[in-house]
Amino acid sequence: MKKILAITLSILMLFTITACGNGGSGSTNVGSADISADNTVTPPPDSDGAELSGTIVVWCWDPTYNIFAMDEAAKIYREINPNFDIEVVDMPMDEIQTTLITTAASGTLNNLPDIFLLPDYAFQKNVIQFPEMFFDITDSGIPFHEFASSAVANSVVDGRNYGVSFGAGTTIFAVRTDYLTEAGFTVDDFTDITWGQFIELGKVVLEKTGRPMISTSSGGDFISFMLQSAGASLFHADGTPNIANNSTLHDAINTYLELINTGVLLQVNNWDEYTTSFISGAVTGTISGCWIIGSMQTAQDQSGNWAVTNMPRLDIPGGTNYSNFGGSSWAISSNSENAALAIDFLKHTFAGSVEFYENILESSGALPTWLPAGTSNIYMEPQPFFGGQAIFTDIVGYTEHIPAIITGEFWSEVSVAVTNAVVNILGGADITVALQEAEDTVIFQMGR
Amino acid sequence: MHIPNSHATRKPFLSLERKRSLSGWAFLSVAACLIIWLNFYPMVRGFIIALHTGAGANMTLSNPIYRNFARLFEDPQFRQTVSTTFLYLIVQVPIMLVLALILASMLNQPSLKGKAIFRTAIFLPCAVGLVAYALIFRQMFAHDGLINSVLIGIGVFETGHNWLNSVWSARLVIIIGLLWRWTGFATVLYLAGLQNIDRSIYEAAKIDGAGIFQQFWKITIPLLSPIILLTAIMSTNGTLQLFDESMNLTGGRPGMSTMTMSHYIYQTAFVHSPNLSYASAMSFAIFIFVAVLALIQIKVGDKR
Amino acid sequence: MYAFLSVASFLSVFPLYWTVVSATNSSSDIIKGSLLAGTHLFQNFYHLLELYNLSTALMNSTLNAVVLTVASVIICAMAGYGFEAFHSKAKDKLMSILLLSMMIPFAAVMIPLFQLTANMGLLNTTIGFILPSLSTAFLILLFRQSTRSFPYEMIDSARIDGLNEISIFFRIFMPTMKSTFAAATVITFMSAWNSYLWPSIVFRGDPSAFTMPMLIARTIAGNVTDHGVVMLAALIATIPTIIIFFFLQKYFVEGIAGSIK
Repeated sequence: MKKILAITLSILMLFTITACGNGGSGSTNVGSADISADNTVTPPPDSDGAELSGTIVVWCWDPTYNIFAMDEAAKIYREINPNFDIEVVDMPMDEIQTTLITTAASGTLNNLPDIFLLPDYAFQKNVIQFPEMFFDITDSGIPFHEFASSAVANSVVDGRNYGVSFGAGTTIFAVRTDYLTEAGFTVDDFTDITWGQFIELGKVVLEKTGRPMISTSSGGDFISFMLQSAGASLFHADGTPNIANNSTLHDAINTYLELINTGVLLQVNNWDEYTTSFISGAVTGTISGCWIIGSMQTAQDQSGNWAVTNMPRLDIPGGTNYSNFGGSSWAISSNSENAALAIDFLKHTFAGSVEFYENILESSGALPTWLPAGTSNIYMEPQPFFGGQAIFTDIVGYTEHIPAIITGEFWSEVSVAVTNAVVNILGGADITVALQEAEDTVIFQMGR
Repeated sequence: MHIPNSHATRKPFLSLERKRSLSGWAFLSVAACLIIWLNFYPMVRGFIIALHTGAGANMTLSNPIYRNFARLFEDPQFRQTVSTTFLYLIVQVPIMLVLALILASMLNQPSLKGKAIFRTAIFLPCAVGLVAYALIFRQMFAHDGLINSVLIGIGVFETGHNWLNSVWSARLVIIIGLLWRWTGFATVLYLAGLQNIDRSIYEAAKIDGAGIFQQFWKITIPLLSPIILLTAIMSTNGTLQLFDESMNLTGGRPGMSTMTMSHYIYQTAFVHSPNLSYASAMSFAIFIFVAVLALIQIKVGDKR
Repeated sequence: MYAFLSVASFLSVFPLYWTVVSATNSSSDIIKGSLLAGTHLFQNFYHLLELYNLSTALMNSTLNAVVLTVASVIICAMAGYGFEAFHSKAKDKLMSILLLSMMIPFAAVMIPLFQLTANMGLLNTTIGFILPSLSTAFLILLFRQSTRSFPYEMIDSARIDGLNEISIFFRIFMPTMKSTFAAATVITFMSAWNSYLWPSIVFRGDPSAFTMPMLIARTIAGNVTDHGVVMLAALIATIPTIIIFFFLQKYFVEGIAGSIK
């Protein structure tokens, strides 16, 4: 068949093409060098809301949470500044991320919105990789000191602020009180305890009710928030990975293994299985970011049977019962023509309005990292779903104590490497060897 | 593909040859230019990106210039995804092709009733949206999912197996998912091929005393070999570029054990701290794998 | 044989059945694995309409897919016809080079393709969306192979009647090759209808331009996923492709058959 000849030719053609590429590359600049001008825009740093006008375009995801909050914030701000309009575009975070990357690579920054949302774990990475996209809001007058320090830390690079935190990811231990009663315990027995105590209590619950205490779909995430609760990071201060000789990581992994081996923690495979496990009553409770209560409350027949407390701590110096899982921050894009308006808007809502946080609480369940909101009376109201516990005040109380950590540019790489290591360790690999391997992988990925 | 007759018979007007040839070029020029402009040109640009490091506006030529290609050989995660992808290829493609052949020959029986219904049913998986498909497969293979309930019910397992939580069974689920999604498409292609085979050949074989299996081996397979080759190349190409199942069905888990090359490229470019240059270099590796395998398949397919 | 086919059909249809059933169930029933129809269809539909702009997504998806399918099928049919009806060695060589484009992973060209589209000011436009898949080697190949069995006497007699080459293509070739066109339509429509990554980059940030697969991506983007809404959206997105295949299936098989003679 003469197709053979054709394909052989094609392969030859391939090498011709690659050779051409090789020759031309010296003179070709990838991406575009023309975007430097965009970075120098400086809006008036402080301003009176009344003088500013315009339409702010916002990219964020989740109509019941972030988008809802943005719309409510716009309502509040319009009372202060009637010349303000907003256009909130529903965009999943993966799409925002791919858009930032393709935009940066093609140098067409003028297509970015005024404000966009990024998940906290990816915030520093984007600022470090694409500094030309982010507006430095350090001196904008936004009161960063009024936010939980752990939440602000996620959007700080080299001491400069680039984001306004929204949506607390404060970790909670939410638990079915009816199952605890069955085992002869109360929530207080699980408050302010260590993982060691948690495992002992968990064994009793498992024996008496047949239910594991908690479930997780990702060992990596679970270990991450265990680490943060002790203020431990997977990076050294100089940005190099801190995996192989990280004693806190060893402790966290050993605790995780013990949780699995004792049957206190049930491993599931994905998010759906995870939410099913606590909604269906396959497990006693769950440890996750506080936004998880939105999933619980879909099962209204369980109203009154849930309670919330803090998570167990690692039994080491610096170990606390507070950590963070999830959360995100608003960024202002550097080429926004309305940057001053966008700053003023955020300042009077997400970073300054108790009323705003009150308005969004019931419908979205979004909790503030802006601490003054926690003083509101609405937060102190008992929640019938949680047996009359004033969980919102409790959670805002935890938020304040979360240790801040470095996420850095390579959080995702480290997270995947550690997750992979945990799978290998569960499969019988030696912990020291597996973690050394993980560290080598990350160092390889960082060396470009 | 098999070429039935010589082209010479089609060109009776030699005097008009030149004019004709030009009309031909005119007809194909739009499509050809579009492919060169929108496939080959970006590929060359992609290659140039692969020779750089950095991100966004700050890209510089890498040092040494083949740095990103050299990385391919040093990267254990890339190696892992290559072997996982080839595992899917080696197991899934042959099973799918055989299954599709069997289904197609059954659907081609003249005596079969309800042909249109069976044909539509078997083709349906191609039409089911990816998100629904991933969600359903995850649920079927969940620890307390349907598959375990059935297997416990018929006594295969005592307690059920956590399919997606162990390396080999999670890979198996991906292969089952691929089979489910693509066997129908291959079946339709074979069915089309079978309709070109004159039924009298089978009648003659029957008279000569050939059984169903002999007919299958001696008539169906040889006459279908061009299209078998085509589907083999297409599915090799598709499997080596596999992304959807890895991304949506297992998320590459447990660990990275079910992750494919394309998923790893996506992760490198869009999930991790973006390394577009290295992602481009990996894309070229896939391109070369596909091209080489297609060449081998054509060589092997030709000998028969 | 019937047993084997029935089992195969059952396995093929089952996930679709599950999608249909799930669209009528509440989120918590779905994750518990309910296999029976529920009573939440209207509630799911209500939530879907309340949170997302379904009609815009359906209209955009239809518009994009139809424009792309029509344009792409005509361009590739002309090319396939040009390659085969005016056959020459040089054209064969060009064809095998074009076939190489099938082996390029999308990831390899995505960024440069985006640069190209942005530089031409085609972001957020239908043209920007259809451009990369307007001409595909697969479709050209399909038409080229089918043209082999075309009765050339028809072309010759049309030429004697004084028709020009373009008219021959549209008035003689197209009507005769109905089934190949049907096959090409099914394949192109399905991939256009289901494409996600490219439109999500090209239609970035334009809420009036988003498509069905982008809508589905939005239904699973939040902290809390309403599976009833997801499955209903997935079902609605599946229906058009099923309808297209069902009505064109006879021609589809013939069309493919024509190309592999």
